[in-house]
Amino acid sequence: MNVILANWPLFLDGFWQTIKIGIVTLIASTVIGFVLGTLAMVRPWWVRALVKVYVEFLRGVPLIVNIFFVFFGAPLLGLPLSPYGAVVLGLSLWGGANGAEIVRGGLQAVPRHQSQSARALGLKEWEIFWFILLPQALRGILPAFAGLLTLLIQSTTLGALVGVSEMLAMGRLVVERTTVMEGSDPAFQVYTFVLVAYFLLCSALTWCTRRWERRLGAVGARRRLLGGGNAPAI
Amino acid sequence: MEFDPAYLVRHLPALWRGLLVTIEVSLAGMLFSIVLGVLGAAARYLRIPGLWQFVAFYVEFIRNTPLLVQMFFIVFGLPAIGLTLSLFWCGVLSLALWAAAYHVESIRGGLETVNKGLREAGQALGLKPWQFLVKVSLPLALRVAIPSMLNTSVSLVKNSSMLQAIGLMELTFVAVDRMAIDFRMLEMFTVLVVVYLALVFVLSFVAGRVEHVLQRPFRA
Repeated sequence: MNVILANWPLFLDGFWQTIKIGIVTLIASTVIGFVLGTLAMVRPWWVRALVKVYVEFLRGVPLIVNIFFVFFGAPLLGLPLSPYGAVVLGLSLWGGANGAEIVRGGLQAVPRHQSQSARALGLKEWEIFWFILLPQALRGILPAFAGLLTLLIQSTTLGALVGVSEMLAMGRLVVERTTVMEGSDPAFQVYTFVLVAYFLLCSALTWCTRRWERRLGAVGARRRLLGGGNAPAI
Repeated sequence: MEFDPAYLVRHLPALWRGLLVTIEVSLAGMLFSIVLGVLGAAARYLRIPGLWQFVAFYVEFIRNTPLLVQMFFIVFGLPAIGLTLSLFWCGVLSLALWAAAYHVESIRGGLETVNKGLREAGQALGLKPWQFLVKVSLPLALRVAIPSMLNTSVSLVKNSSMLQAIGLMELTFVAVDRMAIDFRMLEMFTVLVVVYLALVFVLSFVAGRVEHVLQRPFRA
């Protein structure tokens, strides 16, 4: 426990970095998700096909490959990205693909007669989307995005592999430093601590999401829209 | 930077060995995770004192912690208190423990769909709870649970790429390692993307077929 207390500022730094990446990527994923999820519902088949290719591609390739690709690839395209930027971009693209599936699923779950009735009443297409479909779909979509935040926060650990100082990277730093300077290996204590820290953070988020879901009257929507309670497609 | 097929051909043997490691570690992980998942779900179903609460906590713990940290814990944390495994088995263990948590939930969901009347019939016939579980409800539940268990297995294959971080020489490790030496990323990323997409699509296709077959009795 001493090793944790002695390096407390480092862990706190890592913790904030994790939260920061989680929130920034959630915002970006929400934007990408809403744009692509809406485009997945439009008439022209080739737009839907493009969205599907994007979603399937990003969900099919392991997230770590995706992040390495951004990290190594961006400089070659003349886009100098810091490790932080690369991770945020990689996670946002991936989160956007998941967000698109969430939004599409939420929109499709609204009964067909809603849009048909609206059309019969003479509403325009954008009015149907904005006033009829979206408000009803949001009930399921919002908790699902909160669930996505938990996944994004868990995925920030991949940042440790390209040099972002989040919690896991800080843990590794502490282990290496203590091993060199004091000759004892604190890996067990440190990684247990990191596991517990993530557990507390993510289960608090999960708990809040569940309550929110119940309040919105959309129990189970999060799991359905995030892939039916399956293991996350990281 | 141009795509150089000759470069790719030169490194195919190494990539092939990496792919084999990926497949081996994934298959072993799937096997152990399914065994653990069934045992865990059985412990919860039979309410074995002490054990079922542990399984419930375990599932929540695995689901709410990042897999990469779990891997670091197993590879670096456990040896620090004297538990040493080879890198390959560390990989298998971490993947199996991770997927088992999701399997427990899938099977539990399946067990909940088993008709109450069946259980009463089993009791009337004098079956003990574990006999009823093994002979009646587990076969029924697995039929419901297998599609989502296969989905978890697809994720397991993808997540085996995280073992790159702990130094297991699987496909991603080989490709990224080469890239760090030669800076030829186009060829290596093409390989990674094509191979992982192929693995995922083949497995998803198999999962779809299995689901189709399993649903056969329920279709008119």
